Amino acid sequence: MAAGGVRFGIGKPASLLQDCEWENAARQAAEGVKAGTCSILDVVETLGSPLKNEDPQVRAQGIQVLSEVLLQCYSLLQEQEVTHLVLFYENRLKDNHLVIPSVLQGLNALSKCVVLAAGLAVSVLKAIFQEVHVQSLLQLNRHTVYSIITNFMSNREAELKSLGADFTLGFIQVMDGEKDPRNLLIAFQIVRDIIVKGYALGPFAEELFEVTSCYFPIDFTPPSNDPHGIQREDLIFSLRAVLTSTTVFAEFLLPLLIEKIDSDVQSAKLDSLQTLTAVCKIYGHKELKEFLPSLWSSLRTEVFQTASEKIEAECLSALRALSACLSRLVLGSEDEDLLESFLRGVLQDCRHHLCEPDMKLVWPSAKLLQAAAGASLRAYYQITSSVLPLLLEQYAKHEQSSQHRTVLEVLLGFLELRQMWGPEEEDKSPLLSCKDSLCSIVFSALTEPNIQLQLVGIQVLTFLGSLQELLDLANVEKLADHFAQFILLEKDSQISLAAMDAAGTLAPIYPEVFSKCLVRRLSEALESELLEDGSSSHQKHLRALAAVSTHPSIVRETVPILLQHLQQIQKGKVPANNHSVVSVCHSLQQVALQCQQNAQTYWYFHQAVVPCLLGLAVQAALQENSHTTPGKVLLTEEALSSMVLVISAACMHLSPELAAQSVSKVIPLFLDGELSFLPGNNYSSPFQPFQDGPCPVAAQRKLVALLMAFVCSLPRTVAIPQQDRLLHELLALSYSCDCLFTATAAAKCFAGLINKYPEGPHLDQLLEIAIKMLEQGLNEGPYQHQALTLLLWVSKALLLRYHPLITQLTDKLLKLLGDTVLGPAAGDGFALLMADSTDVLGKSCHAEVRLMFRQRFFTDCVPQLVQCFHMAIPDVKPNYLKGLSHILNHLPKPVLVTELPTLLPLLLESLSCPDHIVQLSTLRCLQPLLLDAPHVMHLHIDTLVGKFLNLTDNPAMAIRIAALQCLHTLASLPTPVVIPFKPRVIRALAKPLDDKKRLVRKEAVLARGEWFLLGTPGR
Amino acid sequence: MKDSLTLLSRIPAHPDSRCWFLAWNPTGTLLASCGGDRSIRIWGKEGDAWVCKSVLGEGHQRTIRKVAWSPCGNYLASASFDATTCIWKKNHEDFECVATLEGHENEVKSVAWAPSGSLLATCSRDKSVWVWEVDEEDEYECMSVLNSHTQDVKHVVWHPNQELLASASYDDTVKLYREEEDDWVCFSTLEGHESTVWSLAFDQSGERLASCSDDKTVRIWHQFNPGSEQGGAGSGTDPTWKCVCTLSGFHTRTVYDVAWCHLTGALATACGDDAIRVFEEEPLSDPQQPTFSLAAHMARAHSQDVNCVAWNPKEPGLLASCSDDGEMAFWKYQRPEAC
Amino acid sequence: MVGPPGGGGGLENANPLVYPRPGERPTTAREQDEGLPDAIDGREVFDLIRGIHDPEHPLTLEELNVVEQVRVQVSDAENAVSVEFTPTIPHCSMATLIGLSIKVKLIRSLPERFKVDVHITPGTHASEHAVNKQLADKERVAAALENMHLLQVVNQCLSGRS
Repeated sequence: MAAGGVRFGIGKPASLLQDCEWENAARQAAEGVKAGTCSILDVVETLGSPLKNEDPQVRAQGIQVLSEVLLQCYSLLQEQEVTHLVLFYENRLKDNHLVIPSVLQGLNALSKCVVLAAGLAVSVLKAIFQEVHVQSLLQLNRHTVYSIITNFMSNREAELKSLGADFTLGFIQVMDGEKDPRNLLIAFQIVRDIIVKGYALGPFAEELFEVTSCYFPIDFTPPSNDPHGIQREDLIFSLRAVLTSTTVFAEFLLPLLIEKIDSDVQSAKLDSLQTLTAVCKIYGHKELKEFLPSLWSSLRTEVFQTASEKIEAECLSALRALSACLSRLVLGSEDEDLLESFLRGVLQDCRHHLCEPDMKLVWPSAKLLQAAAGASLRAYYQITSSVLPLLLEQYAKHEQSSQHRTVLEVLLGFLELRQMWGPEEEDKSPLLSCKDSLCSIVFSALTEPNIQLQLVGIQVLTFLGSLQELLDLANVEKLADHFAQFILLEKDSQISLAAMDAAGTLAPIYPEVFSKCLVRRLSEALESELLEDGSSSHQKHLRALAAVSTHPSIVRETVPILLQHLQQIQKGKVPANNHSVVSVCHSLQQVALQCQQNAQTYWYFHQAVVPCLLGLAVQAALQENSHTTPGKVLLTEEALSSMVLVISAACMHLSPELAAQSVSKVIPLFLDGELSFLPGNNYSSPFQPFQDGPCPVAAQRKLVALLMAFVCSLPRTVAIPQQDRLLHELLALSYSCDCLFTATAAAKCFAGLINKYPEGPHLDQLLEIAIKMLEQGLNEGPYQHQALTLLLWVSKALLLRYHPLITQLTDKLLKLLGDTVLGPAAGDGFALLMADSTDVLGKSCHAEVRLMFRQRFFTDCVPQLVQCFHMAIPDVKPNYLKGLSHILNHLPKPVLVTELPTLLPLLLESLSCPDHIVQLSTLRCLQPLLLDAPHVMHLHIDTLVGKFLNLTDNPAMAIRIAALQCLHTLASLPTPVVIPFKPRVIRALAKPLDDKKRLVRKEAVLARGEWFLLGTPGR
Repeated sequence: MKDSLTLLSRIPAHPDSRCWFLAWNPTGTLLASCGGDRSIRIWGKEGDAWVCKSVLGEGHQRTIRKVAWSPCGNYLASASFDATTCIWKKNHEDFECVATLEGHENEVKSVAWAPSGSLLATCSRDKSVWVWEVDEEDEYECMSVLNSHTQDVKHVVWHPNQELLASASYDDTVKLYREEEDDWVCFSTLEGHESTVWSLAFDQSGERLASCSDDKTVRIWHQFNPGSEQGGAGSGTDPTWKCVCTLSGFHTRTVYDVAWCHLTGALATACGDDAIRVFEEEPLSDPQQPTFSLAAHMARAHSQDVNCVAWNPKEPGLLASCSDDGEMAFWKYQRPEAC
Repeated sequence: MVGPPGGGGGLENANPLVYPRPGERPTTAREQDEGLPDAIDGREVFDLIRGIHDPEHPLTLEELNVVEQVRVQVSDAENAVSVEFTPTIPHCSMATLIGLSIKVKLIRSLPERFKVDVHITPGTHASEHAVNKQLADKERVAAALENMHLLQVVNQCLSGRS
């Protein structure tokens, strides 16, 4: 390779060896040295004549061969040999410029030698510094020089340090003017090592700074198809590591940063701000002092004026870092307190803007103050002791609700900062001294007729209430009263929801107060409105009961109220509909979630709720044949589904012992009709859900859903009595029941149990039976759809646990995609396979879910699916695309992004597939990828723009909307990629602006607006 | 009247932007168009179709508002929002930018060559009208800067056979200028329009001038020589110009352009209500107080504002128009029998 | 026409009245029905401009009552949209810029068949006629949007970042 680069003059006598022979010679010699059959000096001898040849090209080639050999066998050399070679090479550095590259390669090899004699490293470096004008070499050769230096620095550190500042100076001269990004990365690393490892800088600190800081801020865009893969960020971070490695640079760096922050270039601002933040970690009082006024002024100006959220955020981080840095100082008694004076300046410049709550500068000022205050407790005290009284005063001074809202929002920002530090002696806290006036303004805010203001007021009160012992009892009661009023009387749902959340947050701290002021009143309200059931206030009260159930004592009050409500529905004492059952169940479910942490309360909940719900449902099912059954409403699919959620929530966190206790009663209930543990005793007939039979039994069978909720939510270790009998019953029910709801519940229950079933022949046997039944069912007959449902759920159960039989089931599913009848449903079924299961097969139900099951399914299934797609007849092609788009939609983004290059053509084809579901699902799959894989997308930008635009006049509204959303997102690809399409897209989007549907027009307006902003200032 | 204006063809001349203006070359064989896409396109007829012969893309940084052919047909001037005017020299089918005239403070709105070809006028939002002299070597020198208007000057046009210049402005007036002792002076201000005057057109004789405005009217002004009855006791030797006819009630939005056919005498207008209208003078009307009637009305001539109408100088009745929708259309106008 | 924002300089209208805003337009079942066309109405056009930001205040034109739904006239059939806006004070120097932002937003967002007129509410501004005339001059509007500084301010008003 290297020798190939040298060309001989024609007919010159020196060209004794041809190109390839040089290489061969080198390789042979190296093998010889490695094998010990010859020494390196023999090699030198063989090369004797070219090494001494008068033609520099020939000499270069000779040395090249030697260097190649050295690179291969430097580790085998003797100290004596190394010394000779070093001296030889060093000498050659004075030779013709054609020779230098080969010489450097040799020195690079030698610099790696462990046996290098003392003093040689220094002498080599001195020779290089003296003889070689590095920046006139080619990139590769410059890189070699950096490698030599790096090698010596890692194994001859002490020796190099003996050179003193000369080493630093030498290196400065070497890298001065470097332009190649690859070399810069290594050069920056060397500078960083020089500083961090304590090489002497002598009088050259400023020069060293100059030679590196001249690259700041990094302005580098990798060429497209860059084979080196160096990103702009690599250089930025590497240079930043240099600049932030020492306090010595401070006096040079800080003015530079200030200059760049003040410049007009966004990227320069960002880089400077991030560098400033980084440097604050190592700087102290001394470094910063002189520059604090200018730094503050630049940061302030930037925050006040910038249009960019990113720059604002970086400015605030930098300010916080500055403030934190000043907070760190240990004060000597005579030192000026820099933090104190710095914050005084910040306050002086920002404070007065807080007095103008309508003005633009309120928020920037508040953010600046909060950033400075957030750095340390000391900073917090200083800022808030000035700002809190001011804000309280401003609140009183202004009259409009909107002004009050701004003041209170700003105030809340300051209050919440306090949570950054743990409790401390509060006597210093400015909050204490203004607590009373704060309470009084917040309570008055709650009475102003402005929803936004009230919302902030609720947040402030919640914060105050959550600080232990800040509020006295009278204030807590007043607060709870206010919340109760918002919940009971307020029409605006935002307010009542906020009040519920707040009550839930504070109830654990003040359970008695909330029980008295809220639970009791909610209970009375529910009582009084029993007859106007289903009203929105009724639902709101049920919801509030759940929200406030965040303390054990309150749970014991609210659960009976909720259950009593269901009992009254079942007894027909209140006019009921689906909705009221669902509302109560939602509330119960929320209570279950809230008490899952507290084992005792959770067990109470389980014991109170599960038997009660089962009892009510069984009673309703047994009454089913009489005509006027008020309990019927409990048996609708909607009501049962909501009970499923409650029972599941009441079981999934049980300890195995308690779960075993409970399961021993529930299984006999379903298998043997054992009713004794249910509350009440007026059951009119036997309960036999698994018995064959017509109508009356159908109602009982539906309750299999509740069995599923219970038995599939238990921990894996809980033994289920009569499990095999249960599984057979479920299997039979699942593929032979007319009612799809019941069949699906049975299939899911079967799948849930199978998923947890211990591995072994027993399981295989069960599965064999199931598969046989499936095959029968799928082939013919009235239960094809039930069979497909069972297939999907069993596949899912096996897929999640990586059971080997899954391949057999996947094949069946793929085959079904080609079926003209079941194909579309099978295609949709892929969504079920891939989605996170929220119920029986979810992790919360203790299902066995292996990591990366999706990737596995993707790898196993997609190649086959794609192949089948290509072979399929046109009629069924959409089924495959549907399946594919479901798989892709659920695949983790990183996987999808890696696979995207190969899949994108198919996805683009899907966009042209006439099936609306496929188009829609593909658009939804593509939209997030536009953001996550811009590098892949931009290769297809032409096609994407065309296809998306085409879909904007699709007959289906949802597709037009999704296509417009994609076009909207497309605008966030790198501007150079999309800007060529700007005129075309803007023109084309004029049409959907006139879409007949308002919802489509709305998306078109958003998308077109974004494209207009592309490449223009103020974006 | 219905068929008096028929569409010949419609071309997306400046797709993705608006088409502001059209200009026929003196022999009527080429049509230049310009627009918001910063380009000029030259169109010629091949068979029955109008095809784009060249695109002049590199001259301006912003919208090109108007273009004008020199009387010899070898030069094209373009006025742009980038505050410059470019002079393009025609070389077979290629055009080369040979001069860029700078001086206006902001957008140049219009440019026009004098019939002699040795003078060029430009106007701008900077309220001024500039007269440039052209020498043999394509050197352009500013002779005069006229600051008579108090607002944005929208349009300049030369008298068809005299060195007399007219300008229209956002200040609602039209001004007329002539040369006087090596300098140019405004000798007359035509007042009457109630809002911005957008464009002007002389008839073939140069005795009449039509102006169109944001006040939704077109006015016809007539020249009266000093001493004549209507000329009155006007001072000195300058002729006076008076409004002899106002066409109102026809247009429902701003009239952006007016074109007077020098072959047939028909007057066409381009209007912000998307329509093109053609007016004819009543055959027996009093030349001192003429009446014009609407001879053609093409209601949705374009899908957006019509910006310009231009009669072909050689082929009677051939009308070109262009619009904010980026399109250009060719029409055949036939005088209705009844007129 | 526009000074640099911020800088703490005295702002003209230090205490504008702020008005509460109504919620988002709820989506109706009709709007979700594929078959039925929804005419462009006053509320829809108002929704386009209510969120435009005032160049000086951290507030929207709606919150400042600069635009109100009753001052938006729409005729979908006749392709006409007319908007009147009310500057916060009669000498507001930002009136042209606010009008320009409204006009630009409407031009970018409405079907091209619409003729869009933007005026100052009669009697609410000292230079009402001059501002109206500028806003109606499409040539000047076009030129303004090629002025990078003006375009930046307008874009900031439209995108809510300022």
